[in-house]
Amino acid sequence: MAEQTFALPDLGEGLVEATVLEWLVRPGERVERNQPLVELETTKSAVEIPSPCSGTVVRLHASEEETLRVGAALVTFEVDSAAGIVGTVPGGERPTRRVRLRPPAE
Amino acid sequence: MTELSIAEEPVPAPARGPSMQQAINLALEKVLEEDPTTLVFGEDVGRLGGVFRVTDGLQRRFGAERVFDTPLAESGIVGLAVGLAMNGWRPIPELQFDGFAYPALDQIVNQMARMHYRSRGTAPMPITLRLPSFGGIQAPEHHGESLEALFAHVPGLKVCAPSDPADAYRLLLQSVRADDPVIYMEPKARYWDRGPAELAEPTEPIGSSRVVRPGRHATLVAWGAMVHRCLQVADLAAEDGVDLEVVDLRWLKPIDADGLAASVARTRRAVVVHEAPLTAGLGAEVAALITERTFGDLLAPVQRVTGFDVPYPAGPLEPQYLPTLDRVLLAVQRTLEA
Amino acid sequence: MSADMYQTLPGPVPLRYARLGPSHASRPPVVLLHGFGSDFESGWVRTGWVRALEEAGGEVVGLDLRGHGGSARPHTPDAYLPEVLAGDVARLLDALGVGRADVVGYSMGARLGWEFAARFPGRARRVVLGGFGPSDPFADVDPASPGSGEAPFDRVFRAAVAAPGADPVALTACVRGQMSRPFSPDPAPVGVRLLLVAGERDALAEGMEALAAPGRGDAVVRIPRRDHLTAVSAQAFKRAVRDFLSAESPSFRTS
Repeated sequence: MAEQTFALPDLGEGLVEATVLEWLVRPGERVERNQPLVELETTKSAVEIPSPCSGTVVRLHASEEETLRVGAALVTFEVDSAAGIVGTVPGGERPTRRVRLRPPAE
Repeated sequence: MTELSIAEEPVPAPARGPSMQQAINLALEKVLEEDPTTLVFGEDVGRLGGVFRVTDGLQRRFGAERVFDTPLAESGIVGLAVGLAMNGWRPIPELQFDGFAYPALDQIVNQMARMHYRSRGTAPMPITLRLPSFGGIQAPEHHGESLEALFAHVPGLKVCAPSDPADAYRLLLQSVRADDPVIYMEPKARYWDRGPAELAEPTEPIGSSRVVRPGRHATLVAWGAMVHRCLQVADLAAEDGVDLEVVDLRWLKPIDADGLAASVARTRRAVVVHEAPLTAGLGAEVAALITERTFGDLLAPVQRVTGFDVPYPAGPLEPQYLPTLDRVLLAVQRTLEA
Repeated sequence: MSADMYQTLPGPVPLRYARLGPSHASRPPVVLLHGFGSDFESGWVRTGWVRALEEAGGEVVGLDLRGHGGSARPHTPDAYLPEVLAGDVARLLDALGVGRADVVGYSMGARLGWEFAARFPGRARRVVLGGFGPSDPFADVDPASPGSGEAPFDRVFRAAVAAPGADPVALTACVRGQMSRPFSPDPAPVGVRLLLVAGERDALAEGMEALAAPGRGDAVVRIPRRDHLTAVSAQAFKRAVRDFLSAESPSFRTS
């Protein structure tokens, strides 16, 4: 288990900050990847940010109606594994097989 | 259309022995410490600490002049390494993923591999090109390829691929300290494996293989992530009363032909396993070396178990593409029956 | 989601659209119509709507309205008359072989949803009108120079033309086309149930309750503490729509 903190992502269109409209999760809550995490308001639109990982919410780094700069800490999770950014960590699957060997005559 | 995604902050070190990611990180830290001419650079290796956290914390520790981010231009990354090496530096560039090496092939093959030769020995190329390689993590296209045969075929290059954290540490120290260019292929699928708490200095010369499991009925030869697969096969074979030896080749250029011959002379059967496609893969070279040296001892033709002659498939098909336990076991059975 | 989820509906004014999620014989797809100056991605994808609807197992059809997003951008006001935009929706559904659909529109997209339901009887099953009311959003807007004043819509217009990739000429033509046909609640769509949703601070949706007919099974939802911009992403909005579209017989509610 490891704590991972995620920053406010680049929202595109040259936006440098956003305001928290509403948190959709609470500290201590178990969250699945892609589950809605937070609604943000920018000068141009409202956006919903999905959770970047599965894990348990440890801390929310901004309160509602607080404005954050892109790159500022947004949320800290306790995540199950310290994965990379690309791809998935291979699971510890139990080896299964169908082929049986016949030992050679000695 | 892109959904918003979020980058992550560094992961704190765990209590157990270092993972392969961390072992490579510690080796980089060591060479940066002991040799002021070493430089680490590539895409996202600085501020982010690498997409697999391999260079995590190095920029903070050694500064952005020695550990730095480059533009997304692989040819430029290797070209920069060549120029730095000509001027007395010891560069350790990273190409973020195997498939991203293709745009850099001109610099790798035409410059890095032959500059020492072309300059009549006046411009050595002490470059270690780190290349996260091979498949098994269900990543997109260009993130799961095995280019060892391509690089091993180029005169002037050395190529290695570690299979566990302790050896990743040793091979990286050896690669960086060598005065020749080395392609250091990191098996992404084994990045998260943990090893012993103590990491040791290399003791064997470049180009030596190692027997990671002794056995007497047949020799499995592999490198990178397929060593793990062969150890699984050896465990299953043991249930059936078949005793398999597993040789981790480690160095794919130069290949330890003597070490291979010594193992196969004992077991008299050999199966070589790799992720890359079959045709003109490195398994053919291994099979040829074994056959040349131990033809009289062999009880069966050397078998190859490999990926297929198709473009590397999408994530969900990886388990079918990569050598499965059953495919390796069947190849072993063929050598036992011959 | 990637760029290749989009397809193009050919024609004199080619339109970019996306068809997502599983199709159901039993349940019509949901057509999402974005507001002025927005597009399918900004209005419905980034706000979490597609994720929410797909999770609920629904089929989604998203369209970039002409003049917006990846669709063609004519420069004449006539090209943006409400009946022309409604015709685009009908043309898309024809091409997709969809006879009857649920429609969710926001702001100008809601006006369009009304228009579509009224002009093409039988093509819309249920219609959600978000951030929309009977009052004229263009009342204080100068057609010669939209965006120059201080009416709520002037601010919407300024934000829209400032967005990267916006076509100010097309957007101005769109405003003039819409202004030339002020909204009238008569004739109302027939045989269609309506859900009206807006933030409680949404000035552009003033009086929307008047558009609901309780006898028809219409429903009204006001979202606390949200305005015209911020109501779009609200979970209460998404919940209300999911309930409204899946309910056997929607009942009238106010909140």
